Amino acid sequence: MTVEQATYRFFKVFVPAMVAYVAATAGIVWFSDGGALPPFALYGLTLVPIGAIFLAFWAQWRFAMELDEFLRLIQIKGTLIGIACIMIIASGWGQLERLADAPRLPVFWLLPIFWTIQGLATTFISKREGVF
Amino acid sequence: MKNRLRALRAERGWSQAVLGDHLNVSRQTINAIEAGRYDPSLPLAFKIARLFDRKIEDIFEDEK
Repeated sequence: MTVEQATYRFFKVFVPAMVAYVAATAGIVWFSDGGALPPFALYGLTLVPIGAIFLAFWAQWRFAMELDEFLRLIQIKGTLIGIACIMIIASGWGQLERLADAPRLPVFWLLPIFWTIQGLATTFISKREGVF
Repeated sequence: MKNRLRALRAERGWSQAVLGDHLNVSRQTINAIEAGRYDPSLPLAFKIARLFDRKIEDIFEDEK
């Protein structure tokens, strides 16, 4: 499989999954604020963004597996940087909340922060390694 | 790790993309190996050696 084919297959799943994630999250907030749905229904609705997140990570996994060894290594490096950064942010901010009364950071934001860092890190490494 | 991949490829008049097709890897991977930025796995090194009908040590040079 070529890089272009693998990339197309990745975005074909990743983009709709992210659209579903954002739409479902906005919908849950809207229903929650309006009080239109009982709590158990809201819990049920959260399965939609959770499913979207699962799909996005599955697409990421499949993409890495379909690339050759050099490009896969770049993906893995970018993902490890993303994981390291998100763990540092989460743990560090948690300590600040606990010890220094820092404003509360909703854990909801950890995923968008992870994807942003992972994307930037992968792009940076790819550029450094002469991929583009 | 230094290697003779660029020279071997040139002998056959292949582009990086064509060599990548022969080895089932991307052009970017061939470029990274030739530039010494990436050392291939053992299976890929064997594939390269077989393709050019050489021993691995004739293509890749241990810089130790």
